[in-house]
Amino acid sequence: MKPTDLGVRRAFDVHTHLLPNGLKVLLVENPSIPTVSLTASVFTGARYDPEAKAGLAIMVSRLLDEGTATRTSLEIADAIESVGGAIETDGSFERIIATASVLNKDVDLGLELLADLLIRPMFPQEFVDKEKERTLAEIQSAQDRPQVVAGWAFNELVYQDHPLHRPSHGYPETVARITRPDLLDFHSRFFVPNNVLLSMVGDFRVADLLPEVQKFFGGWVSKPVVFPQYESPLKQTAKRTKFITMPAQQLNIYLGHLGISRTSPDYYALQVLDTILGGGAGFTARIPQRLRDELGLAYTTFASITMTAGMDPGRFIAFIGTSPENMKLATEGLINEVRRIIEEPVTAQELQDAQDYLTGSFVFAFESSPQIARFLIHAEVYGLGFDYVEKYPEYIRSVTVEEISRVARKYLDSENYTLVVVGPVAEDGNLMNGAE
Amino acid sequence: MSSLVIPSAFATEDVRRTVLSNGLVVLTKEVHTSPIVTSMIWYRVGSRNEEMGHTGKSHFLEHMLFKGTERFKKGEIDLLTLKNGGGNNAFTSHDFTAYYFSFAADRWEVALDIEADRMVSCAFEPEEFEAEKKVVIEELKTGLDSPWGLLLQELEAAAFKIHPYRNPIVGWLQDVERATVETQQAYYHRYYHPNNATLVVVGDFDTAEVLKKIDRLFGSIPSGPEPNRMVLSEPPQRGERRLVVRWRSKVPRLAIAYHAPEIAHQDTYALQVLAVVLAEGKASRLYQRMVEREQTVTFISAEFGESKDPSLFHIRSEARGDHSIDEIESSINDELATIAKTGVTAHELDRAKHQIEAHFILSRERTLDQAILLGQIETLYGLDYIDSYLQRINEVTAADISHVCARYLNENNRTVGQLLSDGSASAEEEELEAD
Repeated sequence: MKPTDLGVRRAFDVHTHLLPNGLKVLLVENPSIPTVSLTASVFTGARYDPEAKAGLAIMVSRLLDEGTATRTSLEIADAIESVGGAIETDGSFERIIATASVLNKDVDLGLELLADLLIRPMFPQEFVDKEKERTLAEIQSAQDRPQVVAGWAFNELVYQDHPLHRPSHGYPETVARITRPDLLDFHSRFFVPNNVLLSMVGDFRVADLLPEVQKFFGGWVSKPVVFPQYESPLKQTAKRTKFITMPAQQLNIYLGHLGISRTSPDYYALQVLDTILGGGAGFTARIPQRLRDELGLAYTTFASITMTAGMDPGRFIAFIGTSPENMKLATEGLINEVRRIIEEPVTAQELQDAQDYLTGSFVFAFESSPQIARFLIHAEVYGLGFDYVEKYPEYIRSVTVEEISRVARKYLDSENYTLVVVGPVAEDGNLMNGAE
Repeated sequence: MSSLVIPSAFATEDVRRTVLSNGLVVLTKEVHTSPIVTSMIWYRVGSRNEEMGHTGKSHFLEHMLFKGTERFKKGEIDLLTLKNGGGNNAFTSHDFTAYYFSFAADRWEVALDIEADRMVSCAFEPEEFEAEKKVVIEELKTGLDSPWGLLLQELEAAAFKIHPYRNPIVGWLQDVERATVETQQAYYHRYYHPNNATLVVVGDFDTAEVLKKIDRLFGSIPSGPEPNRMVLSEPPQRGERRLVVRWRSKVPRLAIAYHAPEIAHQDTYALQVLAVVLAEGKASRLYQRMVEREQTVTFISAEFGESKDPSLFHIRSEARGDHSIDEIESSINDELATIAKTGVTAHELDRAKHQIEAHFILSRERTLDQAILLGQIETLYGLDYIDSYLQRINEVTAADISHVCARYLNENNRTVGQLLSDGSASAEEEELEAD
């Protein structure tokens, strides 16, 4: 395979297959190494959790491989690990994912185990109890990391009553309330073949694999799925600020507000804007260049509005981790760069460089089978089309300087933002005496 | 056990090893599955080469290599990466410093121009040096705000008395604060030479053309003096060492380090299998016992990596609920004593070998991963290590596992670090938890 243009790659040969029960199967043959990546995506997630039982979807995802009608937790682990494979199950706000990574000779075993844990999980009470305790311990452990504490507080302020205000794994008291019947009910509502996408990428022949898929998944019975409804989040119209005290070396600062959904028509213009403002290669973007490279304020600083765009609006986030004495300089530095990109047009050179970067580096997203499997899911969920890999450069190339100004004015706000600071700082925003 | 699926030599298949007259080792491997080329340069210098009072120099130097040269002015290396739609980064370890660029296959050679130039003409502008010093200090502080970062730093400092593996790779704060342009520059000139480096190129290119270009760019760079041989060696440990780190966390953490051999030692293979038997995957011994049955921990890991000099085998764990660190430690010790005495089952051994084999294959899909494997092993040992790797893993017996477990993972050879609460958990944290 040779590039036909700088960084442009050929579309994959995606085989699409629909089982009679509604299970959608996407297959890409990739014989470069003798492995197969199998990913089942169930279209449900923490966005549908009731507020009182926040954490339900993630708990379901983590318990899928802890026992089925035919296998114990240890039998599942031993079966896959004995051939050197791995099964991972996890969830997000939008999806529950079960992945099996296996050598090509073990693809049948991978499919069989995936089918078992998706169709027949038992959520044994013993494992429900263990998982609840483990989640509580993990929440406590995560609170040791200032960046995590800052991120959680930021989401609470930005999303207010919207489901995304909470951590996807819930709060200690909501996790404590979840019961085994809740898990079984969740499973029966959402885990139906017509709500699942199976993507398979790797060293196999489509013709050989489809009968196996039918064998393991064909008996799964479909039924309609009803998705809970909720209000869209509201854009903030005033400043929101929170300072959280934690004895630490650095202050972790999040500044931003509500962002866009992945299907926004302005996604590509904002991706170019992100590259100029806070992303890109090395420290070329404005925020890293100014705050890290010139002022030496941080090891980590970035900004993005497209990074968290999903089915729900994501967030515009500008982040910096810096020493306490730099708080004012760092915060003002972030705000100034946001204001500047709203008020002044970017240069033609900046636009050109960002476009070259995005189109040129696009090829790196499709190097491995798991990466291609992820793309297939994205293409399906957001309706990108499998020829997206060929169209993407054109989407990026068509962005203009004027468009960047327009989307900056429309989506960024240097006045009405949320600011969260975690570290040796008092609740009123003054630095603590004797900060480490 | 069932036989291996493929020989490990597949990783070195088609690798061409060329040594230029100035000593630069060049490894090239054509991979045409994606239109991508990764190029990496590996210098045989890391924190093991640093003298007392000057720790962190290798890492600081890594940062300076992006700050400009005579030919590529400040910001230009990143800008060229941006304009060409590529990615770049670098990393420093105890044993080496490595730099990489990945580009699409039709414009990747700019990477060679940059690497050749910065091998000899890093700028060291005083103003840039001072600005970057602040960045390195912020990086160091980020590590200190991580419980594991802090605990492992203290653990390694206690496990090694003499060998520089005792020092953090980013250096001790006081040393970084008083770093000077002059000392950094001298360090650069001492270690950055073609005869102290390996250039690795993996991806969609034509070998003959690339070798010609490499010879043109790097061939004329004069060799440097042979780098100083590292003469420090760690005296044997003669009894347990223990330490406690007090910190703001309410979650107790345990890290145990056992002195273990260097990459060239025959026991490394059995130790790698042992690490997998102990804690890789849900079916592993410590996971089943401590996470599932006793439910005393939320997390358990066992790690043993390849290094040039004898290093450490680590076991780490995080307590769950009210379970004490002592309870956790006692279960680990008990399990190790059992393995030393009665070994592991044939099934456990078989499973661990398959896990290592599959990991070896599954983790080499990207050109960058392949370049890292080749460069790292060439720098630490030599490529023949890879050729025989899976075969040597396959030859490990249950008796070998018992032997290395008894020999290395014993009381007199361990340093135990505990991270315990300093009682400072603030009212705000309590409130946050209750939200």
